[in-house]
Amino acid sequence: MKAVSGIKTICVLLSIALAPLASAADSASEAFDLGAHEGKVVVLDFWASWCGPCRRSFPWLNTMHAKYEQQGLVIIGVNLDASQEDAAEFLEEYPAEFRIHFDTDAVLATEYGVEAMPSSYVIGRDGELKTTHRGFKVKEQSEYEAILIEALGEQP
Amino acid sequence: MLRIVAIFLVLTCTGCTSMGVQPWEREILAKEEMQLTVDPLEAATDDHIYFSKEASSGGRGFGGGGCGCN
Amino acid sequence: MKAFTRKHERSVSATLAAATCALLGTTAVTPVDAQEEPEWDFNTSLLYYGEDEGRVQDASFKSIIRRLYTDDRTLSLGFTVDALTGATPSGAIRQDGPQSFTRPSGSSSYTEPAGELPLDDTFRDTRVAITAGWQQPAGEKGLLSVGASVSKEYDYLHTGVNASYAHDFNNRNTTVSAGFAFANDSIEPVGGAPIPFTNMLDVDDTSNRVGDQDKDVLDLVFGVSQVVSKNLLIQANYSLSQSDGYLNNPYKVLSLVDGVTGDTLPRTPGPNGGPSGQYLFESRPDERTQHSLYTQAKYYMNGKVLDASYRYMTDDWEIDSHTLDVRYRIPIGDASYLEPHIRYYTQSEAEFYRLSLDGSSPLPQYASSDYRLGNFDGITAGLKYGWKTRNDNDMSLRVEWYQQSGTVPVVQLIGNQAARDNYPDLNALIVQFSYRFSR
Repeated sequence: MKAVSGIKTICVLLSIALAPLASAADSASEAFDLGAHEGKVVVLDFWASWCGPCRRSFPWLNTMHAKYEQQGLVIIGVNLDASQEDAAEFLEEYPAEFRIHFDTDAVLATEYGVEAMPSSYVIGRDGELKTTHRGFKVKEQSEYEAILIEALGEQP
Repeated sequence: MLRIVAIFLVLTCTGCTSMGVQPWEREILAKEEMQLTVDPLEAATDDHIYFSKEASSGGRGFGGGGCGCN
Repeated sequence: MKAFTRKHERSVSATLAAATCALLGTTAVTPVDAQEEPEWDFNTSLLYYGEDEGRVQDASFKSIIRRLYTDDRTLSLGFTVDALTGATPSGAIRQDGPQSFTRPSGSSSYTEPAGELPLDDTFRDTRVAITAGWQQPAGEKGLLSVGASVSKEYDYLHTGVNASYAHDFNNRNTTVSAGFAFANDSIEPVGGAPIPFTNMLDVDDTSNRVGDQDKDVLDLVFGVSQVVSKNLLIQANYSLSQSDGYLNNPYKVLSLVDGVTGDTLPRTPGPNGGPSGQYLFESRPDERTQHSLYTQAKYYMNGKVLDASYRYMTDDWEIDSHTLDVRYRIPIGDASYLEPHIRYYTQSEAEFYRLSLDGSSPLPQYASSDYRLGNFDGITAGLKYGWKTRNDNDMSLRVEWYQQSGTVPVVQLIGNQAARDNYPDLNALIVQFSYRFSR
């Protein structure tokens, strides 16, 4: 399991390093750059407008953003809608305080090997993938928050 | 009879491991009208009508499809 | 698995503005609200079912109320009330002359005019049914359901329990499920259950009646559903149904006929009224095993959805049936749809199905002239129109026509029976209005 996440992190870092070399990445959004958040705890949350548990996770993610942004938590909601318009409609009804990245062609989703909707990947201050969280369950919220607090407590 | 059933289920399952879509490709499958039983009230009504007027009953199953979330 | 479905219309410019804001990472000044998840789901309907020629009419109110808890746990309660009136074929055959019969209660008699299909109109009944169910995820990939059901009408009590489990595989593309239902039903026929193959007796003579009866039914279902592509979902199930106990219809009779003319053997009714002919109460086996294979496909084509299913049933009463059911849902704008529906059903008769009993031959082991066990085709054609109300709730209206036409095996026709229209064909109108809303 650790080997797999290690390989995944290497892939992510490689793609970040090679990103400037890639031609036209995301057409409708900025190119994804994890390096911009070096030293911070990054949560990549993969979601889509048609996913019920994704909708339920937004208030909680907003709360985490409000609580821990000062301490260095960066939440990026990676949207996987085939149509950005659907995502935009959704965001108008369920606003997100955190950043949204449109991964319309599922490049990031494939890279991270997303297995469930929603999925979130917690990347520590050292750039290592710490945890993969599949699905969203209200009863697991406090457990999940504890993981974030632990990750924030670590030195880069 | 049992042999036919076994073959039927095996045939349905073989190739199941290679078929399907990625978790983020389920937008259409998540739609209400794409569920196996869209209107449970109508299904229950029909089941009751045809059970009362014919010699066969039920057969319908459950589970599968949908958004595949959680 | 249930899915998030609510979508609202917004102007294009507003959505683009929202999208831009999100991309730039600007924080909108919105309070962090407690999002309102629907907690309740109400699904209700009114149904009218009416057969022609004075036969069964049914008005029904049905509702399923669901309480949604966190993390996909659901409690559901179902409630149905049916009011039934109208007549149903008694199983006796038409005759050239009038016929009289004793009512199931044994307290009065009724006559059928010459040439008419004998119908028993005793049934004015109210049925109440209640179901309860609990569903929750089991582990990461499983779904568990348990439930119970009860229904009561004047002469019938049903109690049952059920449970099922579904498990996802292959990134949730494959779902395997298994379920069972066990029911114990008790029958208290009006006037008492008649001893099979005894004669229908005169009014006030209940000497051939015994007490309450019951039966057990065990159903097992195994299924596999598979996501084939973004647009196509298929399912296949195998079901087994095992019934044991009193499987007769206590109100149905067979005419005992002359071996040459095929006419009902006559009888002199008693002073207070009674049968004008010899009619024997039916007799069915006390056991029945049914196997069903069911497959269904849901196919999405540019907004339209095709839902097609096929079921094959075979049992140890030698009944075989095929059911083909096709629905095609066509969206109209954003808020309504039209859904034509066609269903084709065909069954072959039970081994012991008889139009009548030959008085000059020994009785078979079992016999029933219940048209529901005969050889017939059934066609349903209907149209459903559904729409979203201003409050984003769902309403729908469907109108369907169900027609059954059957045939009696030629070998069973004796003498004058061949010239008559023997099978009680059925024509029924189905109208159902539904209203569904969440809170």
